Amino acid sequence: MIVLEAIGEVQIPLLAAMLLLGCATKVLKMVRAGSADDNIGPTALFPMHLRRPLAVVLCAVEAALGLGLLVTAGRFGGHAPADGIRLGSCLLFLVATCALLELRQSRPDVGCGCFGDFSTAPVSARTLARSALLAVAGLATVWVGPITRPRTVAGAFGLLTIACAEVLLIAVLSPEVGEGLIRLGYSAPCELRNVPAARTLAALRRSKYWRRYASLITSESPEDVWRELCWRFVVFPARYQDRQTDVVFAVFLQHRRPVVHVALVDSGTGALLESPAGKQRSRWPGLAPLLGSARGLLPAFNSAEARSAPADLPLSTDL
Amino acid sequence: MRSAHLVCCDRCASLTRSGRGATTSDPARGSADSGSTAVTTVARRRLLKSAVFRPQTELVPAGRGADAAGPADDAGGQSVGFADVFQLPRTVSGTILDASPHVLILGEGDREQRFALTPDAVAWRGTQLEPAALLQDDRAIVRLHPFGRNVADRIWANIGRVTGIITERSGNQLLVDEGATRGTEVIALEPRSLGRIQVRFPTLEPGYLVDIIGIRRRGEFIGMIPATSQPAYPAQRLPAPPLVSGHVPDSITGSATWHEPRDEPAGILGVSYPALDPETGCAEDLAAGMRPGYARMPFLAIGSVLRIRNDCTGSSCLIPVTGCTPIGRLFNDRCVTCGTSPRGRVADLTLASFIALGGELERGCFNATITIGE
Repeated sequence: MIVLEAIGEVQIPLLAAMLLLGCATKVLKMVRAGSADDNIGPTALFPMHLRRPLAVVLCAVEAALGLGLLVTAGRFGGHAPADGIRLGSCLLFLVATCALLELRQSRPDVGCGCFGDFSTAPVSARTLARSALLAVAGLATVWVGPITRPRTVAGAFGLLTIACAEVLLIAVLSPEVGEGLIRLGYSAPCELRNVPAARTLAALRRSKYWRRYASLITSESPEDVWRELCWRFVVFPARYQDRQTDVVFAVFLQHRRPVVHVALVDSGTGALLESPAGKQRSRWPGLAPLLGSARGLLPAFNSAEARSAPADLPLSTDL
Repeated sequence: MRSAHLVCCDRCASLTRSGRGATTSDPARGSADSGSTAVTTVARRRLLKSAVFRPQTELVPAGRGADAAGPADDAGGQSVGFADVFQLPRTVSGTILDASPHVLILGEGDREQRFALTPDAVAWRGTQLEPAALLQDDRAIVRLHPFGRNVADRIWANIGRVTGIITERSGNQLLVDEGATRGTEVIALEPRSLGRIQVRFPTLEPGYLVDIIGIRRRGEFIGMIPATSQPAYPAQRLPAPPLVSGHVPDSITGSATWHEPRDEPAGILGVSYPALDPETGCAEDLAAGMRPGYARMPFLAIGSVLRIRNDCTGSSCLIPVTGCTPIGRLFNDRCVTCGTSPRGRVADLTLASFIALGGELERGCFNATITIGE
């Protein structure tokens, strides 16, 4: 009996925290979007003109219940207002569970919206279980008396243990936790970082590879520049042993001392020529298989009629 | 999806190692002729990239002539050039000259071609119909049966698609901005289609995104069905995309859509990618200003090759990036063709690629996984 009472007591601050957090994240989403028109989970079930008022009402109800739970937790506990608010919380989570079930059926692409921008994942069994758990937690608070400070250390430790266990359970049932953790320690991977081409060129011109090939290069500006993942490729026209060539640099997109690869390619045939500065060792041999072989490319590149054919990718038989 | 057997890997496996000479250019900055230029740039960039990462044992001594490349290439034992065109995923387009229950005759200029129709062949022109109900002069896209060169099993007549941002609404007509190079397009919505479209696109107001499949009739586009679901936000208020920590995964799952060819060769197997490098990137961006996209995808360029898998049929294929899709980047919708895909469009395929991978045009999308770096 004492344990049940302790469990009931723990639910009140937990439910209040969940409700206030839900309200705050929803408001944050509305502020960011500049309107309340965006779906907040179950509001997607309603016609457009009802979504905005419903979203506002939902936020207001969550805030009112969350604050109400805290205010009535003390000496008002056990009285009608406290019971009403706690019953209201239970009812809210019960309705939310049903709405999420319906949402999962009719709009499988919509997130639950429980915690604003964090709740973008489609409604899953975990989301439903969390909502049902909170409904049960709400029910457990209904007949709890006024909450007082624990009289013994063992009592305080017991409450803390129950609270921690429940927080852990809620965290396990919350898809939003993973999203939150990613945001906390985020730094954009190099594949997603926007790196100006000018910076790449500056880094390239500082490298020893540039100095090695600079005498061959016949143009100040590159002929072609493109990027794939963390590499930027820069092509300069060059002249080597009386033939027209291309010097291709691959520059790894890191700020300081980027890795550079270079190749000298015959412009006419596509053949890879030996470096004028002698053989260079590949520092990234593992990349070659990833990037595919160019064996099949060269003869085709060598073919005059192939060069004149613009549609040199497989085409369907278009009449 | 009926075309689970339409696995195209074998048919276009040579795509990534096939390439022919090209002039150097920056197709992404081009506009009207970007399609064909992109095709040549794909080959050249792949050649140069392979050269720079090629094992140094394959170097050709500088003293050797142009013919040095030949034997070196054969050493790998790989096939040179393209696969037989008839082994590629088969999509044919043309104008219908005649359609009977068993035979379809397509023409283009003074050429014509006959196709036998399978007993279960179906056609689509706004709605599903018998092939015999197709009309002369309808513009048709025909999917050929995988086991018969001149046998058709699916026909789409006059199909079109408009994807963009609504800029104006006048009654049942929408003016849609499809991007800097594609311009604007008017969608006429017939009352009988309006309700169906509004189930998925409830806000047909300026500023909101729209993606509608319909038919083209006498220069007019008539919206018939919603291609996907409308994102709830106006295009200017894109929600923050989910963050990616560590390295971007090699495989990204989302929605793959299709687009009309416009300035591309009609049958090209290519894909418009939503995250071209902004430095050398997308012609659309230059006019509209770089906008962040929803799907967080690694930066690539024209010529990069993706393996795209249709998660609904299991078909997969290596397809080169031939364009960009800045409008597609604004969508955070999901594809629900089979299951629910994660949010965001990961590929905007050409008609031929979409059909080759087993997509049904009127469904608008399929759940797809793209793999980068193969």
